[in-house]
Formats: sequence, C-alpha cells, structure tokens
Amino acid sequence: MRLAFILSEIGSGLRRNVSMVVSVILVTFVSLTFVGAAGMLQMQINQMKGYWYDKVQVAIFLCSEGSTAAGCASGPVTAEQQESLNSLLESPAVAQYINNFQYESKDEAYKHFKEQFSNSPIVDSVTPDQLPASFRINMKDPEKYQIISETFASQPGVETVIDQRQLLERLFSVMNGASLVAVSIAGVMIVCAILLIATTIRLSAFSRRRETGIMRLVGASKTVIQLPFILEGVIAAVVGAALASATLWAVAHFFLGQYMSQQYPDTAFISAGQTLILAPVLIILGGSLAGISSLLTLRRYLRV
Amino acid sequence: MIRFENVTKVYDQKARPALDSVNLEIDRGEFAFLVGASGSGKSTFLRLVLKEDRATSGAVYVAGQNVAKISSWRVPRLRRGIGVVFQDFRLLPQKNVFANVAFAMQVIGKSRSVIRDTVPEVLKTVGLEGKEHRMPHELSGGEQQRVAIARAVVNRPGILLADEPTGNLDPTTSMGIMGVLDKINQNGTTVVMATHDDDIVNEMRKRVVELKNGVVIRDEAKALYTSMIPVVGQSRRLKDASGRDTPDAGQSGEGEGQR
Repeated sequence: MRLAFILSEIGSGLRRNVSMVVSVILVTFVSLTFVGAAGMLQMQINQMKGYWYDKVQVAIFLCSEGSTAAGCASGPVTAEQQESLNSLLESPAVAQYINNFQYESKDEAYKHFKEQFSNSPIVDSVTPDQLPASFRINMKDPEKYQIISETFASQPGVETVIDQRQLLERLFSVMNGASLVAVSIAGVMIVCAILLIATTIRLSAFSRRRETGIMRLVGASKTVIQLPFILEGVIAAVVGAALASATLWAVAHFFLGQYMSQQYPDTAFISAGQTLILAPVLIILGGSLAGISSLLTLRRYLRV
Repeated sequence: MIRFENVTKVYDQKARPALDSVNLEIDRGEFAFLVGASGSGKSTFLRLVLKEDRATSGAVYVAGQNVAKISSWRVPRLRRGIGVVFQDFRLLPQKNVFANVAFAMQVIGKSRSVIRDTVPEVLKTVGLEGKEHRMPHELSGGEQQRVAIARAVVNRPGILLADEPTGNLDPTTSMGIMGVLDKINQNGTTVVMATHDDDIVNEMRKRVVELKNGVVIRDEAKALYTSMIPVVGQSRRLKDASGRDTPDAGQSGEGEGQR
C-alpha cells in the first residue's frame, strides 16, 4: 500500500514538471556521455597497447646514401659493418634481451612502406633507395630498450636506433589528452546536472508543499514524505544514464565497428560489447549523484 | 493528556516571550478552549504540542511523554496521535472528499480495505455521507471544514487540536462544526480549540484557558469567553490594560451568558 502510494506520488511529480524532468534527463545524458567517452578512450588505449606492444619493435636503421647522422660519415653501411652488427645481435650479451630479430632490406622496407601508405600519393615519390635498411628487433622486455640503444647507436654503419613504442606513446598521449578533456567537460556538466537536479527537486517540493504539510501533520514518516522526491531525481538521472550508455554503444557499434574499422583495418578498435561494461557504471554514477543531491536539497527545503 | 510545566518559548531574544512560564494540564477526554487576542500565544501553544517548535525552557508532556525527549524519527508517531484542524481547511484541491480523507491513512501505510471501511464511517460522523465524490471547490466552507475534521480524526488520534476552526465560517455553520467537535469529544478524544469566537465559547460552556501576552490569566471550567467575575483580581486589571475594545467584548460576552 505504501509502495503503491509512493509510486503514484512519483508519477504525479514527474507529470507535474515534465519540462524540468526532461532537462534533468538531457543534462545527465550529455554529462555521462562525456564520462563514458573518456572511459571508451581509455579502453581503446589499453586495447591498442595490448595489440601493438606485441608487434612494435626496436629498429636499428643502417646508414644509407643520404644519411647525415654522425655515425654515417663514412657513407652507406658496408657489408662487413652489417655482418658485425648481425653477430653482435647474436652475441649472448645482447641476445638475452631479445626474442628474435630480422633484417629488413631497402626493398622490403619499400614494400612495407607501399602497403602502409597504399592510399597516399606519397608512395609515387618514394624510391627504395631513399628508405634505409634496418634490423627489426623484437624485445623480450620492451622496457630494456635503453640497453639496445646504448650498444648499437655508436656502432659504425648505424644511423639511428628507434624505439617504435615511443611513436605509439605519442599517439597514446594525444588520446590521454582527449580523455582528459572529456573528463573536464564531464566534470562541468556534472556540476550542472547536480545543480539542476537540486533546483528541480526544490520546485517539486514547493509545488507539493500542501501535500507534504498534511503528510507531516498526520504523522507520515520521513521516508514516505521524502522518497518520492528523491526517486523522481534518481529516475530522471538513470534515464539520462541509460541514454548515454546507448549512445556510447551506438558510437562503438556504428562509428568504430563499421566505419573506422573499414578505414583502418589493421587497428584494433574496442567492440560494441565492451562499452556495455560502462553502462552499469554510468547508471550507478548518475543515480547516486541524483540521489545525494536531492537528499541534500530536501534537507534544506522540506521540513519533516 | 497534555501537560505544560513552566514552559517558556522565546522566538526573539529582544522581544517578550511568546509563552512565559506556562503551567497547564488538560486531561484525557477534556474539551478546552484556548482564548486570547492575536499574539497571546495560542498558536505557539499548539505548535509546542505538535513538536513543531521546541520549548525554550520547561517541559511539554503529550500522552505522558516529554516531547523534548522524542527523537526526530519518532516525531511522526507523536503526530499520529494528534489530529489538527486549521482555519483555512487545507484540503487538497485536486482530490475529492473521499481521497482527501483517505490521504491521511495512505501516507501512514493503512491498507486499502481498512481505508475503504473507515473513511465512509468517519464521513458519516462529520455529517458528510453521500458527498464522498465531491471536489473541495464544490463544497461550502462548513462542509470543507467537516472534511478537514474527518481527515484529522480518521486515524483515531487521542488529541484533536483546532486552530480557529470557525474563523472563516458564519455563526450558524460554526455551530454545526462545534456539534461535530463535541461529538468527537464525546467519543473520548481530547479537544483543544484556539478561538476568538465568543458566541461559540459562551454557547458551549466548556473549560476556558485565557492567554494574554504569553501568560495564562484565567483557567475556568464551564466558563464564558470573558470572565464571569468581572471585578476580582487579575482579569479586571488586564481588561483595563488591554484597551478600548475589550470592555465591549466583555459586555457582549456577559450578555450572551445571561441569556
């Protein structure tokens, strides 16, 4: 009976200020979408780390004709220099750090380059001569890059040693920056949502002050008086959170899953299913924010 | 049922207290009028009984409990034992008569079947049978006040507080309302009624507690609106002090009483 009563009170409360409820839904929707977007970016970063860190290697680029580095003063790498580098890689001092390595000739480099930039006109202006030959090293522990770099950078015939992971780190830092921006926008929007919920509850409490006054007089408990208001805010926020979750799912499914993965087939994107992990987080976040802010508002504006 | 021990209530430190060392006891089943000019402390008295306010000093006992010692989450239980009626009825305009009365039972969790049985019974007590489905704006003032009374007593409180319940009604209608309150009192409910209405007080001949500037200046059984012993002691002096209109009110009050 009391439950039915509370439910009917919630219903009448939601009907009475539809416009405010809709605005609460929209604001929580937008703010939680930004929270979720930040979460998705982090998931994407993890996904790419897992995918790329297995593949990226340390590359020792060898001197070619056009090299200007100090180590290449004596011209392009010679066969002996290349041989000695090869044996150095096989020596136990170095071999303990690496899984395997392979030599990539200028022609192979050109082939990879063509594959990688197949859509770009730059391919036409590049010849195999312009691309350096290299040793591609797969590290046992990518963190030990420094050892390889120190050992090989000063060897004759070596132009430069590059940790390809650093290239990815740059990409990840851009993505981290983006998720930071998303979190800051979300922060502002959440403040907005909290204030809006507080205002809505205040209005709602004001428009029903007759009822609540009578409820107090006849001895209704605090729960019966306050719960409808609190649940009103919580329901609106949870609807907003559900919309946000649906939006994130749609982005993952249609934008990442269908469009982006066609454009960049060799990049691992997060799947739509993975974004569903975010849904309960967003719903709990939205619901609890609304609950707490309505509770605090009621303590000030609804005497019991 | 209601006992005030040396109760003082100060709203504003600079002004005089709203109630000043009031000692008063109202027994179970009693019918008491609380009379006095505006600002004499009648409403403060009722608010203290309801624990809407805390007494600045002294103790208020309701049904044997010191209300100051009731924790905030048990205040609803105290209020379930007290019905309240106001001058302005305070009905819910979008609910019909039945729903207005049922509301008081719904919010404390009474079951639908109990409500269906009890509400018509109470409406019959206040003389509104057959008007269950009227909306408040379709009723006269007297009928609206009867609905308010029905709502106040539907949970069978031990005490009924009425704050000028006839203030908005004409004399004939007021008498009808007094009949309802009397009937409720006959059923064992303690009734405390704050009022300005001298005709009613004189007609009813119940206990009268007169307040003036927060002090009880008269407490008489079966009394009139103004004292029947005009010359003796305090009340005479206070009548003089209270200014022009009081002697007139006194005269008409006495006339009424002698009739």
